[in-house]
Amino acid sequence: MNKTTAHHISDNYYMEDTDSVIVLKDVCKQRRQHKVGPLNWSLPHGCITALVGENGTGKSTLLHMLLRTLYPDSGEISWFGQTVQGEMPLELRQQIAYVSEKPSREEDRMTARTAGGFRAYWYPDWDEQQFGQLLQAFDVPADVQLSKISKGQRQKFELAAAIAAKPRLLLLDEPSSGLDPFAWKDMIIMLNQAMEQRDLTILITTHRMEEVKRLADYVVLMHQGQICGMQEKDELYQQWKEVWINPVQDIQTLNWLRECPGIIEWDDKPDGSVRILTADAQILQQTAEESGITTQVHGLEWEELLSCWVKDHHLKTDREARL
Amino acid sequence: MRIPVQINENSAEPLYRQVENQLRALIISGQLEEGTLLPSIREFASDLRCSVITVRRVYQDLENEGLLRTRQGTGTFVTGVEQEVRTRMGEENVRQLMNEMISRSYNMGWNRQQLEQLFQEILDTRESDS
Repeated sequence: MNKTTAHHISDNYYMEDTDSVIVLKDVCKQRRQHKVGPLNWSLPHGCITALVGENGTGKSTLLHMLLRTLYPDSGEISWFGQTVQGEMPLELRQQIAYVSEKPSREEDRMTARTAGGFRAYWYPDWDEQQFGQLLQAFDVPADVQLSKISKGQRQKFELAAAIAAKPRLLLLDEPSSGLDPFAWKDMIIMLNQAMEQRDLTILITTHRMEEVKRLADYVVLMHQGQICGMQEKDELYQQWKEVWINPVQDIQTLNWLRECPGIIEWDDKPDGSVRILTADAQILQQTAEESGITTQVHGLEWEELLSCWVKDHHLKTDREARL
Repeated sequence: MRIPVQINENSAEPLYRQVENQLRALIISGQLEEGTLLPSIREFASDLRCSVITVRRVYQDLENEGLLRTRQGTGTFVTGVEQEVRTRMGEENVRQLMNEMISRSYNMGWNRQQLEQLFQEILDTRESDS
């Protein structure tokens, strides 16, 4: 049984340790250009979590700290309830697989089959049969040098090899960057299938909205080295709406509507109509209708949703700072 | 099989409730027959582009209502709904929809007489159309 489902985390994105694959406590890392952290966050077990945010905001730094190819300056990270001093122990590293945007050059001169053989050596649970099936099902040539196959085929090899290693945690750093739509679709199918087959947790960074829609259960947003929060994907999509209200003569009613909770943007248009971004469209709609004002509610585009989230995060931290 | 559930992104109604209401209606109306195997949670979530959390919640709610049953290892099935129960639940559903419509119309300043008149009018048009 998976207990993560009962959680509804919005502001409180710190979950019980038992349900978390990874837990970060006050993790900080100074990079050349900027500081990442302090990060307090935990990764829900058995789900796909999408890590989103602008480039250079610390997503890859975070992933490298999770792989322990980078050590935090301060704070604590635990993997499956276990903390690590120094290098990551092999038994722990074997439970984690990683695919990045750019495949490592080391395997360039190998074929998919021989590279698989090498990986089997590192991952004791390696499933050779599944590896072969995946290559075949997704049209990856097994006996051609990896540097000579297409980008899409190469990335599908990387994913197949990561899945066949039978990890408990799969870290994906913009795996779909530059993929054509066909290879991309295969990637989505592969990852969804892998989730069905066994107990697996995936953390994926991406800029594609459709990828978040097709894969993610939770979304984590990073901005300027900070984690703004983690939300269940569907709650995120439902949270902010765009509400239009038709031109209203009565200024008093309008001012009253402005007091509705959840409004983070109020934009008066020249024709007297108003475009509002709000976290509580239902209240706004109801209040407006009671005053005889008609409204239109629209869902937001992904980019707008994310900027609402960032804005809301800043409003909250400003408010906290003032208190 | 493809379950005909449509998500309206421009609705203020929570997503899980949209999915739940439509799935319930499909079962009660008999469009999904007894014994139908529903897609796995991850598969359905991917079809609907929503999270597994939402689908799991919907399956659990409908299981609690006795409309679905999950067998370990095989999946989630539609259970048999007795005719009597089906009629009662169908009525409850329509009643809920009407209540919603009436309160929103009242909010917009409509009165009983106007509503009754419009309701008749729409029914008449539909009948003459078909």
